[in-house]
Amino acid sequence: MDTLLSEKNRAVRRSVRSFCDEEVYPIAREIDREASFPWEVVEKMGKLGYFGVQVPKELGGAGLDTMSYVLVIEEISKACASLGLCVTVHNSVAVFPILTFGNEEQKRKWIPPLARGEKIGAFCLTEPNAGSDASAIEATAIRRGDRYTINANKVFVTNGGVADICLIFARTDPEAGAKGISVVVAERGTPGFVVGDLEDLCGMRANPVTSIRLYDCTVPLKNLVGKEGMGLKIGLAALDIGRTGIAAQAVGIAQAALEEAVKYSRQRRQFGVPIARHQAIAAMIADMATQVDAARLMVYRSATLRDRDKPFSQASAMAKLFASETSTKVTDMAVQIHGGYGYSRLYPVERYYRDARVTRIYEGTSEIHRMVISKGILGG
Amino acid sequence: MAMGSNKTIVCIKPVALSASGGAARSADSYELNPFDRPALEVALQMKEKRGSPVIVLAMGPEPSAFVLNEAMAMGADAGILLCDRALAGSDTLATSTALGTAIQNLRPFDLLLFGTRSSDSDTGHVGPQTAELLDLPLVTGVYSIDTLENGLRVERRIDDFREEYEVPFPAALTIQSGSVRPRDIGLLEMVPAFEEKELLTWRLKDLGLSPESVGEPGSATAVISLSKAQRARTCEFLTGSNEEQVDRLLSRLLASGLL
Repeated sequence: MDTLLSEKNRAVRRSVRSFCDEEVYPIAREIDREASFPWEVVEKMGKLGYFGVQVPKELGGAGLDTMSYVLVIEEISKACASLGLCVTVHNSVAVFPILTFGNEEQKRKWIPPLARGEKIGAFCLTEPNAGSDASAIEATAIRRGDRYTINANKVFVTNGGVADICLIFARTDPEAGAKGISVVVAERGTPGFVVGDLEDLCGMRANPVTSIRLYDCTVPLKNLVGKEGMGLKIGLAALDIGRTGIAAQAVGIAQAALEEAVKYSRQRRQFGVPIARHQAIAAMIADMATQVDAARLMVYRSATLRDRDKPFSQASAMAKLFASETSTKVTDMAVQIHGGYGYSRLYPVERYYRDARVTRIYEGTSEIHRMVISKGILGG
Repeated sequence: MAMGSNKTIVCIKPVALSASGGAARSADSYELNPFDRPALEVALQMKEKRGSPVIVLAMGPEPSAFVLNEAMAMGADAGILLCDRALAGSDTLATSTALGTAIQNLRPFDLLLFGTRSSDSDTGHVGPQTAELLDLPLVTGVYSIDTLENGLRVERRIDDFREEYEVPFPAALTIQSGSVRPRDIGLLEMVPAFEEKELLTWRLKDLGLSPESVGEPGSATAVISLSKAQRARTCEFLTGSNEEQVDRLLSRLLASGLL
């Protein structure tokens, strides 16, 4: 599979892997346990360019390709899925929309601090009554003079507790249905911008997922990204690359689980031999490795298509669906191979099991992905 | 390669990650000798302080150029790989001959840096031999450096002693591995390292060396055989109740002088 990677891609993977081995994996268990956000490590990651992987150099990023990007996300997620989540959401659904749909002034203002990780980005779409059906959002951004007045109740916001620059999906024209939805940037600290409590989640606990509420929060009209009414278009474009990122994350978690299972099955002895010598366990390892490989190839395909400027939406959706489902299967098998110890917090596989589960839910559930993919095949 | 006369040259060794000779080597199977990373870090810090450009120099087969790209991703400005079939089998003397000749072509420079040794063959010869061939003042095992007007004040730590030296430019140093923490390789310099910065390959003819002066013919020593050292270790299980086992363990430790 390495033949699909350029030398630059491999150097990227090696550098991120080495950083994560030294700085990220050793704290992953503790920050999961304490549900704390590791600012010190995040600062280092910012200086190394992890928060602006595909941002052009002149705006302070690394200017790398999508393949490098998925390798970065896979490696971070392998060490700590919560941090992988922080980085993928920041890069794909916060930085990318500003970079693609923002004007020069917006890019110059917001991108450099985002690319250096000095400011963290968030994507605020989901509401209590609007998730899979994004067109049902109730948030409003009403134009009054030279400002928008935003009222919104956004939930399950990844990075919510630490985000400075939030892309708010809101109705600028409440009468226009799906065509009245726009993206407006709201910065933390603006009066009326309220960060809610941490969501008490089963996994991804080191990511400060919160609600974000805006109460008559006013922002300048120039905070509109793209044009009024472009909200869903921007959201879908962001999710296309976002899904490849989540797929890479799912592969990273699954790879971590596979490696732990291989290690444990060689150490643990039952009936006088390492359990890896029992056919049932060996077959599980074979299935895990095969599925992780297949998922990774789908991620690489999606990244390659995007790097070649080819349509990749369908490939991205398929990669996300397959990788997330693979990740939950593979982490489940890793727990099974560890037996009782797999269900204990003594070993990291229980964390992988909890972290993997949400990859089938966020940035589009598996069910929505099947809908998207089947539409691509059947039309309509 | 036109660069300022105040440049620093860092010799780095690409070391193979797995010792299996038969396996096909790809770029990924080499790493920058960990003991050379501090030397590179010192050069990069000097660059930040004095604006002195950094050239990394390595000798090895084509795929090992990867470590030069990595060094450039850390901040080195250019890389040179000495690569020729005739260089295969070089011992430390022949290696120093090749490196010294290449470095001669890179004059003028201020500083030539080496690690103290390598992770795959712990000789520590190459730095001192190359400095000798180039007739450069050399300080080995350097722990810290202060910049002077036209030279350096360096501290050497060896065998629990600290020595201070003043050396004029151009000078050669070997850098103690624990003296600085090498920086992490970030993403920001990856594109320049692989697509923009200059990476040259110099063959034997570019160096003007004859095949007899390097490789096996140019070596003063030859490795006759190489095998993994077996350490004799025995494992003994103590039996009896827990108390008896503890008593036996204690008396064994006392008898051996470990307690």
